[in-house]
Amino acid sequence: MTLFFQQWYGELLKLFARRRTYIGFGAFVALEIVILLLIKKFGMGPIQKAIVGSGENFDHYFSALTVGQTVMGFSAFLLGALFLSLVAGDIVAKEGEDGHMRLLLARPVSRFRLLLLKYLTCVCYAVFLVEFLAWSSFLLGIILRGWGGGYFAIVPEISVVAFYEWGPGLQRYTAATLALGLSMTVISSIAFFLSCFRIKPAAATIGALTYILVDFILRTSGFMDNYQHLLLTKHMAAWGRILADTIDWPLVWRAYAVMFAVNITLFTVGYAVFESRDLKS
Amino acid sequence: MALLEVRHLTKRWPTGRLALDDVSFDVREGEILGLLGHNGAGKSTIMGITLGMVRPDAGEVRIGGRSVQRNRGEALQQIGAIYEAAVFYDYLSGWQNLRVLCSLSGWWDEAEVKRVVQMVNLNRAIQQKTATYSHGMRQRLALAQAMLPQARILLLDEPTDGLDPEGIREFRELILHLRKHHGITIMLNSHLLAEVEQMCDRCVIIKDGKKVFEGPVPSQEKTRRMFQLETSDLGLAREIMDRVGATMDKHGVVEVPLNMEPHELVSALVRGNVQVNAWQPHRRTLEELYMGLSSKS
Repeated sequence: MTLFFQQWYGELLKLFARRRTYIGFGAFVALEIVILLLIKKFGMGPIQKAIVGSGENFDHYFSALTVGQTVMGFSAFLLGALFLSLVAGDIVAKEGEDGHMRLLLARPVSRFRLLLLKYLTCVCYAVFLVEFLAWSSFLLGIILRGWGGGYFAIVPEISVVAFYEWGPGLQRYTAATLALGLSMTVISSIAFFLSCFRIKPAAATIGALTYILVDFILRTSGFMDNYQHLLLTKHMAAWGRILADTIDWPLVWRAYAVMFAVNITLFTVGYAVFESRDLKS
Repeated sequence: MALLEVRHLTKRWPTGRLALDDVSFDVREGEILGLLGHNGAGKSTIMGITLGMVRPDAGEVRIGGRSVQRNRGEALQQIGAIYEAAVFYDYLSGWQNLRVLCSLSGWWDEAEVKRVVQMVNLNRAIQQKTATYSHGMRQRLALAQAMLPQARILLLDEPTDGLDPEGIREFRELILHLRKHHGITIMLNSHLLAEVEQMCDRCVIIKDGKKVFEGPVPSQEKTRRMFQLETSDLGLAREIMDRVGATMDKHGVVEVPLNMEPHELVSALVRGNVQVNAWQPHRRTLEELYMGLSSKS
């Protein structure tokens, strides 16, 4: 087990020592600041309407948590998928293309173990990136609104609307960000799966992004109303259920079971593809 | 004793091209074996199969008696390699690169790593990012990673490719030092005849995926007796040689059979009225051997 962690440390070192890994983090901070400035200038119109329309005090619920979730919602949607695909799409394909893979596999390590280390690194990066996004948004919210207040949680796509006080709100926010991180691992898995083929890293990234976007478009277009269970973004949205007053656990478990199965399947098929490849330039 | 056994390797690429056709040879403990061939002959494919990165259609490679194809993990425990160009993580230091690579072998011993780094003369640059390394430094780092942890066999795939003459010489001395003082067995893949001639004890020549020669590097040969004959009666000389079992090529290079002494052959020629203008020992070069095999094929 210690050996496994030493090897995993090596993978994480490779990922986090690289400057481009931080482009995602930098881009998120920049986008969060832009969104925050927009909120400061134009206010939170629709959210204000929703809070006031529910008969609650806007000033109380316009808190760091509410701001944090709003900023996070925009940023994760706009940039999260891109950066996760970029990292996971690179992790096997780029090393194969650059010749690093031949250096690694000249060692007595199995392809399975090597891919498992890389996959876990992608998963770790997905959760880490979402947590960074969540807590940097929260920090900006603190700067704007200070500590304390209520929490107005709203996830329109799954019709979740809830009001919390600061303490319980903070707990829900924490749990929801972890759930969002786990949901986002599906995007990493798709990019990782494609990365196991003999393709360019950019092709793996674009392939994963395309899949997620098509899935999202089909989900929102209405044509697939009867087949929503087949769409990954439907299951990925389950993180928002953690914010509901009463959590529908069977639905949450089902969605995460589906995502877990998808992740395992993508890893297994990706591994099978990689295992069958001859690694020679 | 054979430390590495290559047995009946056959590989056909998905395009249909036959990369290897029933290739077998051994690498004996403590020797430097050169794998020679033109570009695309199949040398790197043999290396790839030896490292388990390329799957053969038939045959297997055994390292220390363990089959790479059936038990890759155990078989590769004793091996270190530079396979194709050694590409490091440029944003990591040389030390970090070694750490990442050694962790995949399940090993890390700082003192031993320092010793090897010193041996390859990288101790001052090891903490720098490899992006700043020259080609020669990268090759030395590649050699260091191949030696760690305590490899018994090194597979070196065109290790001096792209090095300047000084770098080549330095690298060659390092390899010879490793064999002499550490008893490391080496399989060297190269298309540079001079390199193989200067470093290797034996060589295997591959042409279009087939083994066309396996034996001592000509300059290392001790058993062969080659002489250069100068005469105007080449036809007559050839007749006499055929009778006594000697062979002569078109340039007058004669191989004396083991059952007779060289002076007996000269006597036979003189008795046969061949005018012998000169008769001097000839050391066959690897280039002659290689070109001879190429023209035969």
